Amino acid sequence: MRTGEFTFNNYQGAVAPLYLRSFWNSIKLSGITAFLGTIIGLVVGYVIYRWPSARMRELLIALSDVTTNFAGAPLAFAFIIILGSNGLVTQFFLQYLNIKLYPNFSVYSISGLILAYLYFQLPLMVLLIIPAFGGLKKEWRESATNLGANTWRFWWNIGLPILTPSLIAGFVLLFANAFGAYATAYTLTGSKLSLVTLQIGFTITGEVLHEPGIGQAMAILSLVIMGVCIAIYQVATGRVRKWIRR
Amino acid sequence: MSTEKKARPSAVQVLILVLFISYMLIPIIATYVFSVATRWDRTILPEGYSLKGYQIAAQNPYFFKTLQNSLVLSLASVVVSLLVVVPTVYWVHARVYAAKPLLDLLMILPFGIPGVVLALALVQVFNFQPIARSPFLLIAATVVFTMPFMYRSVSNNLAAIDITTLTEAAQSLGANTFNVLLRVIIPNIFTGILSGSLLVFATVFAEFTLARLIVGAGFKTFPMLLVEYTRIDGTIAAGLSVISFTIAWIVSLLILWVSSKSLDKSHEHLSAR
Repeated sequence: MRTGEFTFNNYQGAVAPLYLRSFWNSIKLSGITAFLGTIIGLVVGYVIYRWPSARMRELLIALSDVTTNFAGAPLAFAFIIILGSNGLVTQFFLQYLNIKLYPNFSVYSISGLILAYLYFQLPLMVLLIIPAFGGLKKEWRESATNLGANTWRFWWNIGLPILTPSLIAGFVLLFANAFGAYATAYTLTGSKLSLVTLQIGFTITGEVLHEPGIGQAMAILSLVIMGVCIAIYQVATGRVRKWIRR
Repeated sequence: MSTEKKARPSAVQVLILVLFISYMLIPIIATYVFSVATRWDRTILPEGYSLKGYQIAAQNPYFFKTLQNSLVLSLASVVVSLLVVVPTVYWVHARVYAAKPLLDLLMILPFGIPGVVLALALVQVFNFQPIARSPFLLIAATVVFTMPFMYRSVSNNLAAIDITTLTEAAQSLGANTFNVLLRVIIPNIFTGILSGSLLVFATVFAEFTLARLIVGAGFKTFPMLLVEYTRIDGTIAAGLSVISFTIAWIVSLLILWVSSKSLDKSHEHLSAR
């Protein structure tokens, strides 16, 4: 590439099939783990929030605090141990439930990555959503009950709408968290699966020969995606604060 | 809510919690057991136990070298982070409070920039000797990457104390700005500094992306050795994972202990009033 000239060729390069596929894989992986993390995290967070013993609540929040930082190589290897082709859980399914996980499932493929990513996504959502339950005033629940609403009706018409900004903020944070992750994916899949972060990594280490401009174009496109996530997060948390102030 | 909360949890709630705890603990427990198992690919429980994985790992000359490299990297990041963040945050809180929203916004950036993108940018911009691909560039990168942790801890702690009164009192007794910061402010925000330092230490110690992409084999860190072994020998890789899990647990418990201590203190303070 000659210097001193501006060109959009690199962006055309970045949407060539291989790179397009890595963007699609990254978005799919981030979207699925953010969605599952948000929904399951909401349920688990609510159970923890309503748990009678304060000691147990503190313990579970501490557990979430620690495990959400357990991303990277040790976590990836832990998942190989339990879900590899001879892993503990794989063996358990085979011997006790007579279910063959392989070859439909593989810890080294996107299905394995989803389970490994959920490991740090889920506790992150739990930590984000628990404070939001504090915004649900018990008077609202009582008024709804007095007006004849059952539990489902209360959640559908009052609980969830109030929690929606927190859920959106949580979802985009989880999405960005997964989109930028590198170490877990690198340890689990090596170069078998194309993800944006892995491809950018290859342009730095030179393991795969890319046009250097394409790596930069991919980096800028990821920054745009992250920027959108942060902007949505800021707007959504602004709405959460409004509710808490009221 | 308080009376409602005393209600016993239903079977569904118990089940959800058991599943959650299992999901969080099984991978970790399995790694600990695997690291001392002789053979564990045919049966539910290992066929035997030994510490051979740890022995072989410790015999590798890279084992102590990478531990040392990671330790140096983490400690250097903590020191640089403290030197950069503490005076800046104090200055912003004490003198230019209008700049605080800007600083808050700036501290979101490291979360929004993926490690690979930061690495790519630094490698290409700082491509001259002696900085290019050096451990110094790596330290700079890890400091930027972990700065929000230090910033939040220090900033929250500073917001909780009355720095204007403390600063004015110290100044009226003849202290200059340096003395105010070193002998009055820092002792008062020590818990924030400590928990920020622990967070930075733990994060940098476990950091793989920046270390691998900025310096690579020239300055091998502990997580890099771990990734190498995941492709060579499972038992040894499990042993190294156990070591990093254990360090992470210890640091996290220390952080919780430090913050609970400071909570106790503020409760005492309140009840004393």
